[in-house]
Amino acid sequence: MINFDNSASSFPKPLSVRNAVAAAVTRYGGNPGRSGHRISMQAAEKVFEAREAAAAFFGAETENVAFTANATFALNMAIKGIMQYGGHIIISGYEHNAVSRPVYALSQSRGVRFSVADVDADDDVTVKNFESLIARDTKCICCTAASNVTGRILPYRRIAELCARRGICFIGDCSQAAGLLDIKLSDGFDFICTSGQKALYGPSGTGLLITNGRYPLSTIIEGGTGTNSAMLEQPAEMPERLESGTLNTVGIIGLREGIRFVSEKTPSAILAHEHRLCDRLISRLSRSSRIKIFRMEAKYVPIVAFNVGELNSHVVSTMLSEKGFALRGGLHCAALAHNSLGTLSQGAVRFSPSVFNTSAQVDMLADAVLSL
Amino acid sequence: MKKTYIAMTSITYAYKAKTLFERNGIHCDVIRTPKNLGSGCGYSVAVRASSEQALALLDKHNIPHKSSYEI
Repeated sequence: MINFDNSASSFPKPLSVRNAVAAAVTRYGGNPGRSGHRISMQAAEKVFEAREAAAAFFGAETENVAFTANATFALNMAIKGIMQYGGHIIISGYEHNAVSRPVYALSQSRGVRFSVADVDADDDVTVKNFESLIARDTKCICCTAASNVTGRILPYRRIAELCARRGICFIGDCSQAAGLLDIKLSDGFDFICTSGQKALYGPSGTGLLITNGRYPLSTIIEGGTGTNSAMLEQPAEMPERLESGTLNTVGIIGLREGIRFVSEKTPSAILAHEHRLCDRLISRLSRSSRIKIFRMEAKYVPIVAFNVGELNSHVVSTMLSEKGFALRGGLHCAALAHNSLGTLSQGAVRFSPSVFNTSAQVDMLADAVLSL
Repeated sequence: MKKTYIAMTSITYAYKAKTLFERNGIHCDVIRTPKNLGSGCGYSVAVRASSEQALALLDKHNIPHKSSYEI
């Protein structure tokens, strides 16, 4: 089976990640930050090393990196931490349910108002769409850096500038961008939320919430942190404030190696390789008038969304699976984005390569698609 | 050689302090907070330096800390 569903979870993982995970299970089984004995302290030191690596990768202070279970947890913590006392939030029309559902839930439970900014082919128009929605009570703009459906890169630096100018918190869902684009806090994000298992090549069950510390978050989960245990109040210090309960040490150690792998290869080189694969696929599929590719004159991360005639995308992905290719059909947990694309009923088939895929594999896939 | 024990606000800051001290050539261990430095769970650093030198370095790099003592 050839995996072209790396936007969901990159697979296979680099050998260094696999070795690190095996070593973590074998050697670092203590509970980090809970005791002073050597088994616990060795695990804690490994977690700290991973925190330092993530901080360096995203241009953050080490203590402002919180490990989460995935990007959804990170986004929920950031969105609800900012918005739980009401106000107005703006999201884009390309959001994943990890953004749109918590925002909708807040609108039902906390009276939060939300607006959806259309994403246009022209970045100038997109930024104006966001700006036109800003109201007196707008507290936050939260948007994806790159769509998980089409790969379309949003003008996040310009949206960040807009937020800074208007004194609004900016939360970025960087799940499809981290590891491919040079995502840094200095791009203007107040919060970077990302999964660890996609282009950062970490294990499943890892995610990151990274902040510049400008907006302290209310918590949505409280519990044991290994510090100030006599107090009923959740500690104010990051990252413990957001890390209640036992950490996923094995996953975090693996994620550290994933970040090292990406850093050594460099995001720009990985991006270039995967863009070449996408261009190759587009070039092949474009020869068929039956195939619709969802691309505009704009910038993309290496994802290609397409449909074959009127065939339902689930049917196409199932047929491709039977031929040995893993691609995702359906709505990709992003109804807003499919609504924007006009594909709510058909869905789309998503091709997302990794650094390990080859041109020959893409050619085999193109043959398979064209034969449907 | 003087040794200073400094209670830290979190284990993350304790390891951040350890990294800082070691980059400055000062031996440092992260330990569970001794009873005479605080109650409840917490972490401290044991630093082979005077309290004046150790605390100045932490303050210079904005690493928060709590009580301390020197032996």
